Amino acid sequence: PQAKLIFTLSLLLGTTITISSNHWVMAWAGLEINTLAILPLISKSHHPRAIEAATKYFLTQATASALVLFSSMNNAWYTGQWDITQLTHPMSCLILTSALAMKLGLAPFHFWFPEVLQGSSLTTGLLLSTAMKFPPITLLYMTSHSLNPTILTYMAIISTALGGWMGLNQTQTRKILAFSSITHLGWMTIIVSYSPKLTLLNFYLYILMTTATFLALNTIKATKLSTLMTTWAKTPSLNAMLLLTLLSLAGLPPLTGFLPKWLIIQELTKQDMSLAATTISLLSLLGLFFYLRLAYCATITLPPHTTNHMKQ
Amino acid sequence: MALAVMLLNGASFHGGCCRHKGLLSLLGPLLSNSKLYSSYRRPGAETKKKLSWQNADFSFKKGIDHLKTQLSLLKKETQDYLQGPGGHPLSQHLLEQTRVLWQFRSQEDLNKWVISSDEEIGGKSKVYIKLGRNNQAALLYGTLNTEVPRDGETKYSGYCSMRSRPVVGSFNRKKYYDWSNFNTLYIRVRGDGRPWMVNIYTDPYFSHQKDDLYSYFMFTRGGPYWEEIKIPFSKFFFSSRGRVQDNQHPVWLDKASFLTLGFTIGDKVDGPFQLEIDFIGLLNDRAHREEFAYEIYDKNTPV
Repeated sequence: PQAKLIFTLSLLLGTTITISSNHWVMAWAGLEINTLAILPLISKSHHPRAIEAATKYFLTQATASALVLFSSMNNAWYTGQWDITQLTHPMSCLILTSALAMKLGLAPFHFWFPEVLQGSSLTTGLLLSTAMKFPPITLLYMTSHSLNPTILTYMAIISTALGGWMGLNQTQTRKILAFSSITHLGWMTIIVSYSPKLTLLNFYLYILMTTATFLALNTIKATKLSTLMTTWAKTPSLNAMLLLTLLSLAGLPPLTGFLPKWLIIQELTKQDMSLAATTISLLSLLGLFFYLRLAYCATITLPPHTTNHMKQ
Repeated sequence: MALAVMLLNGASFHGGCCRHKGLLSLLGPLLSNSKLYSSYRRPGAETKKKLSWQNADFSFKKGIDHLKTQLSLLKKETQDYLQGPGGHPLSQHLLEQTRVLWQFRSQEDLNKWVISSDEEIGGKSKVYIKLGRNNQAALLYGTLNTEVPRDGETKYSGYCSMRSRPVVGSFNRKKYYDWSNFNTLYIRVRGDGRPWMVNIYTDPYFSHQKDDLYSYFMFTRGGPYWEEIKIPFSKFFFSSRGRVQDNQHPVWLDKASFLTLGFTIGDKVDGPFQLEIDFIGLLNDRAHREEFAYEIYDKNTPV
C-alpha cells in the first residue's frame, strides 16, 4: 500500500526534475528516476508476461538514458557547458535525437512499445503512454532548434506509417493503443523543428484523449476486442463516449483530435513541406481504419450479430 | 601447475581408461568429468550429440528450393494479414465460439506431434502413435513401466507424453496463436480410464523460464463411447520444472506465443495404456465465469 504511493511520488519527482532542469545531468537523473519508479508498477502482477514487459522496458529506457548522458557529455567535452538549450555539437544532436526517439517509442525504435503495453495492466499502460512521455517531449521541446529536421521528419513519417500498418490486425486493445501512441508521436515530431508549441499542443490533447480512452477501457476491463462487443448492454453511455473518444483520437473534424492535425498541416505547408504534410495525413488514414474498427466493434454492432439490426 | 602439465603429458601416452583414472585421481574436481547439467534430454531431441555445424548441407539447389518455400509462406502470411486477425475475417474472429486446433485425419496431422517416454532417461516405457480406424482418430498407445533407471540420480520413472510441435512461420520465425476469444479447451477422446495430464507451454521471450508449464488433469472413462472433455483455462495451475509454484497466475492466452500442448501419463501404474484422440479444439464457454481457480491474493503477507 505504501509502495504505490512511493512509486507515484517518484514518478512525479522524476518528471518534475526533468522538466525544470537546465543542466543535462539533472535531466538524465529525472529520466532514470522515472524509469526505475515505473518498473515495479509494470511488474506488479508477477505474471511472466508482465516481468518480460518490465525487462524490455528497462533495457530500452536504460539504453536511451545512457545515450542521453553520452550526447550531453560529448557536447560538454566540445563546448564546455552543460546547458540543455545550447546543444551545439552535431554528433551530440544526432545521438540525442536517437536517444529521445528510443525513449518516446518513435520508429525505428518502437519495437518495445506494444509488447510492454501488452504486458502491463491498463492503468500502468496509461501511465506509460502519458506520464512517461512527458519528460522526453519536454527535452525535445527544449532542444528543438538544435535537432536535425530531416531525420526527425523521416522518423515521424515512418512512425506514422508503422503505427498505422502494424495496428491494423490487432485484437488486443492495449496493443492498438500502443500503435495509436506511436502514430501520434509521429505527428508530434514532424512539427517540432518548425513550431515546437504545436508539438506541445498535440501532446496535451493526446494526453487528454488517451487518458479518456484508457480509463473508459479500464472501467469495462476490455483488454481484447471481443470484450468491447458486450459493452453496449452494460454501460451504454460509456460506450457512446468511447466511440466519440476513439474518433477524436483518429482526428475526425468536429472533434478535438482534428485541431492539432489541422494546425500541423497548416504549419508544414507554410514551411513548404507540403509533400510531408500529404504523406502524413494519408498515413493517418490507416490509423483511422483501426479506430473505426474499434468503434465498430464497440458501438455500431449489436453482438452477437455483426450489424445494427436483427438478421433473419 | 607444472606437475599437472607433466601428468597430462604422461597420461596422454597411456590408453583410454588409464588416462581417465590418472587424471581423475590426481586432479580431482579441477578436471571433473561430470556434466554441469542433468542428463535429462527434452522429448523430441536428437539422441546423438551432433554438432550444429555438421548438420549444414551446402547444396545450391536445396538452398533455392528452401528459399522458394519460405517466400511462398511469406506471401501467404501477408495475404492472411490483409484478411484479418489470424488470417480470418474480423467477423469470424469476433463471433467465433469454437475452433478446432488439431484433428487427426492423416499422417501429416500425426507429424505435428512428438511422442516421448522415459526411454530418454533410461527407463523402459514404450509409446507409439498411429492413426486409428478409418483414419478418424489418433491412437496413442504403449506400456508404462515404472522401473527406475539405475543411474544413481533418478528416483521416479514411468511417463509417456505427446506434445505438439510448435508452429513456425516463414523463415523459421515463431508463429503466435491468439486464443483470447476462448476460455475452455475441448478434447474428444476415448481413453481407457487412466488419468492424463494436459500441459500447456507458452514460450517465454526474454526470460529463461523455459521450464514453466501450466497443467491440469484429464480423467478418462474407459467405456467404448467417445468422451468430450472440457477443461477451462482458468483451472490450469502453474508449475516450473515439475514443481507447483506458490504464487499462481492464470495462463495468458493472448499472445500464447509458440504454444505447445501436451498430454502426459504418469500415474505410477505399470501396464499398457491407450488413448484415442479425435480432435482438440477451443470453446468459448459463456457460462463459465471463473477467472482463476486458485487463490491469487497475497498469502504470506508480512505482519
